[in-house]
Amino acid sequence: METDFNNILIFGTNIKTENDKQIISKLLNTNPEIEQWNIDLEDIDSVLRIESQTLNATQIIKIITEQDFKCSELTE
Amino acid sequence: MRTRDSNKEEIVKQKAIELLVEKGIEGFSMNRLAKESKISVATLYIYYSDKDDLVRKIGIEIGKNFFAEMAKDFSPSMSFKEGLRKQWENRIRYTQQNPLEVRCWELLTHSSYSESILEQSLLDFKITMGTFFKNAVEKKELVPVSKEVFWSVAYGPLYSLLHFERDGKNFGGGPFKLSQKTTDEAFELVLKALTP
Repeated sequence: METDFNNILIFGTNIKTENDKQIISKLLNTNPEIEQWNIDLEDIDSVLRIESQTLNATQIIKIITEQDFKCSELTE
Repeated sequence: MRTRDSNKEEIVKQKAIELLVEKGIEGFSMNRLAKESKISVATLYIYYSDKDDLVRKIGIEIGKNFFAEMAKDFSPSMSFKEGLRKQWENRIRYTQQNPLEVRCWELLTHSSYSESILEQSLLDFKITMGTFFKNAVEKKELVPVSKEVFWSVAYGPLYSLLHFERDGKNFGGGPFKLSQKTTDEAFELVLKALTP
């Protein structure tokens, strides 16, 4: 199925290591409102990509920053 | 409301191919691609989930186009000579018209992405060529050799000539252009080697 572009949120983070990734993985994997997510650790901005029909950027930022990571929405 | 901008997507694909050829897979970065395509990093990540996803999708698309071109005017029921001639023509035409795509394809099919790209793009063509190969052996127009030996002998000389043409130089450093005469000469030798 074609991904609905309107349900994709993109963030720049300071999540750099596999260890960091593990921490957020637990939260994002178990969140029923997140259909799919991934993070590009190779990228300078460590881009976090979230597919969700219901969550908005502010809610995602809250989840990530509560773990003491930086997270800001990247806009087009 | 976001919509798919196919014009923008095409630019991204073209730039991605250029960057991959120029920098290699290791040196390729999503940030650089966004900059060169004059789009934001966010837009790029809306199209592709990460670098892996992008490289794979670019590879699959080149592969699909490539194999569609190879299948053009070709039928597995052709005589071996006729069919192989058509393969040569199709390969020459595609390589001359899409030099960057071919370089990118060579790069990706010799990388760790190879398997996942070929799995998605080679399917139909593999069956077509398998039938052609089997028919040719049955009709005693082709010596029964392994697929690797067949490929190396059937296309190795052609790709060597195409590399000469890509570099534009012959061994003496003079100009090189793949002429019909050179192509025919090489083709006849290949045919001689593969015919019982």
